[in-house]
Amino acid sequence: MHPHDHTPVVAADEAPGYYEIMETAVRELLVAKQVIAAGEIRRHLEVLDSRTPQLGAKLVAKAWVDPEFKKRLLANGRTACEEVGISFYENTELTVLENTEKVHNLIVCTLCSCYPREVLGLPPDWYKLTPYRSRAVKEPRAVLAEFGTVIPDNVEIRVSDSTAMIRYLVLPRRPDGTEKMTEEQLAALVTRDAMIGVVPVEFQKGRVQ
Amino acid sequence: MNRSEELLKRLPNDIGGQPGAPIQRTEHQYLPWEKRCHALADILDMRKIVSTEEKRRGVESLGAEMIGKLTYYERWVAAFANILFQKGILTPGELAVKMEEVAARHSRGTAA
Repeated sequence: MHPHDHTPVVAADEAPGYYEIMETAVRELLVAKQVIAAGEIRRHLEVLDSRTPQLGAKLVAKAWVDPEFKKRLLANGRTACEEVGISFYENTELTVLENTEKVHNLIVCTLCSCYPREVLGLPPDWYKLTPYRSRAVKEPRAVLAEFGTVIPDNVEIRVSDSTAMIRYLVLPRRPDGTEKMTEEQLAALVTRDAMIGVVPVEFQKGRVQ
Repeated sequence: MNRSEELLKRLPNDIGGQPGAPIQRTEHQYLPWEKRCHALADILDMRKIVSTEEKRRGVESLGAEMIGKLTYYERWVAAFANILFQKGILTPGELAVKMEEVAARHSRGTAA
């Protein structure tokens, strides 16, 4: 347990809105009826808080420096995660998609917001909003350009549409000039958006961050 | 295709491949109640009470107008209530009473 406080289950000095009241009421009724336990929600909030893109970045950096791990990660994302101590709280598979010189991967959930939450945390708003969900599968190059990412025409773009059962994570290309970097240094370069596939991993030697 | 055929062929969430506006890279800090709502969804899924698919269908059955007006977690909590009514786990009456009780805690003007 952490000694410091996370999101409290009972909170708010300001008057809550209608839907917040509904959330509290549904939760309290389910607890009162013993459908769920109050402690379950509290514990799961801590789990959610512990899931951030740093976990995904660790996987990527490890795959870059350890070819055997990379093979296992690409063969079965979930078991490779579990091997490094990342548990899955949802009953989902994880497919890791490798970017290469010839293929650039992009992930989306056209129907709603399925996302590799175990390794990236909760998704950004734009991932859940209509423009990204509708357009990514139809005109990925135009969508990527709006993120400032221009993919050459000779590189194939593969868009993977997530489902309730199968989640995707992009394994970005390791940038040139990073050959001498440690796994930890490499992990610090890997961003959430690179693992969604909307931007590459950037490295400029001597750049002041 | 006229408008009614479009509505029949595509449920509100089925938007893959449709034209859309430019991407705005919007983000926001999740509010505490939104995180609780998310945690509740996960627990309901883990306990096999409401699956991810049921949740999505529950959101879709709110209809296009509500989907357009509600925020992401507002849709979720409304969908949960409807699904839990359908499953006979909660009744609309008891939810209404409980919501009044929760609202009254805050209208008394004293912070918890």
